[in-house]
Amino acid sequence: MKARKVADLDPDGALADNAERIVRVRLDELCGFMPAAADPDEVVALHDMRIAAKRLRYVLELTAPCFGPYAKAATKLTKEIQDLLGEIHDCDVQIPETRAFAERLLAEDAAALHEAAGDADDLDPALLKQAPHARDHAGVAALEAHLRARRLLLFDRFLAQWSQLDRKGFRARLEYAIGERAPVHK
Amino acid sequence: MAKAEDIDVEPDEPYRRAGARIVRVRARELFEHADGVLDTRDIERVHDMRVASRRLRAVLEIFAPCFSQGEFKGVLRDVKALADALGERRDPDVHIDALRTFSKQLLAANKHGVNRMIEDLEERQARGNEVLAAALERAEERGLHGRLVALADDADPDDPEAAAQP
Repeated sequence: MKARKVADLDPDGALADNAERIVRVRLDELCGFMPAAADPDEVVALHDMRIAAKRLRYVLELTAPCFGPYAKAATKLTKEIQDLLGEIHDCDVQIPETRAFAERLLAEDAAALHEAAGDADDLDPALLKQAPHARDHAGVAALEAHLRARRLLLFDRFLAQWSQLDRKGFRARLEYAIGERAPVHK
Repeated sequence: MAKAEDIDVEPDEPYRRAGARIVRVRARELFEHADGVLDTRDIERVHDMRVASRRLRAVLEIFAPCFSQGEFKGVLRDVKALADALGERRDPDVHIDALRTFSKQLLAANKHGVNRMIEDLEERQARGNEVLAAALERAEERGLHGRLVALADDADPDDPEAAAQP
């Protein structure tokens, strides 16, 4: 996902003023994925939301000390959302990989059994014991079931976490905090 | 995981000065993690270097307007290429690690298939390591660290910290 361009950045301007503009855009990008990403089948939106969370987190990690106190809390909250979306993304990558692996084992077994049958009229079920992956299928199926269940659970957690951010006024509080300026230490 | 160095910033300091200083630190951190990164027995090394590459890339993007655009684009492209190569190695590392943990919880009869998948991923890990080795060599040949420092120095030539950097 390409990041939205931030207008009016001035290299000679104050860090806080520029960072404020960047955070506003990155925050808007992140929040813009809801409600689309509240649909568990919206794999792309969830992935893009993770990237948006990462961008917001990195700019906040560097520049939160320039702003009001909530910016620091928001950094942690953004990281938590990013981590959770990252775990969902891992499942979204690993489930099809596991499925493809299972399909490969099945195809190899089918080919081997076909060859073992020779010119028989029908396949003898007893040949199944000779299939090269006879002992592998159960574990791969268990893994796929585990990943699917984990993905459901993580998605529930994501919805609950986002709803909590919403209830606690995450967006409004961060927007307010970046309008504040921390005292200068020099 | 190695923690990124905390970098003090002041709200009123020039955007370009902060950018130059932060890029120098994050570039140094990236190359400090290069030692032993090709050793597949210790997957934390590649993880640390990958995290450092992501932080550096993020910093370059955050401070992009502060840098001379011609050189910046080439440097960012090279950082992205290195980060992608680190990902090629890291992704199977993570998957193998997760499957090993998962396998411990399984009934003996179910371990075979998961172990077979781990073997498959180890082949991918070895290919990822070759990709990473080539990317590290390319970064060295193209003087990526030096170009990053030069980019930072050029962004803020008056920064008193510039001369103090190695």
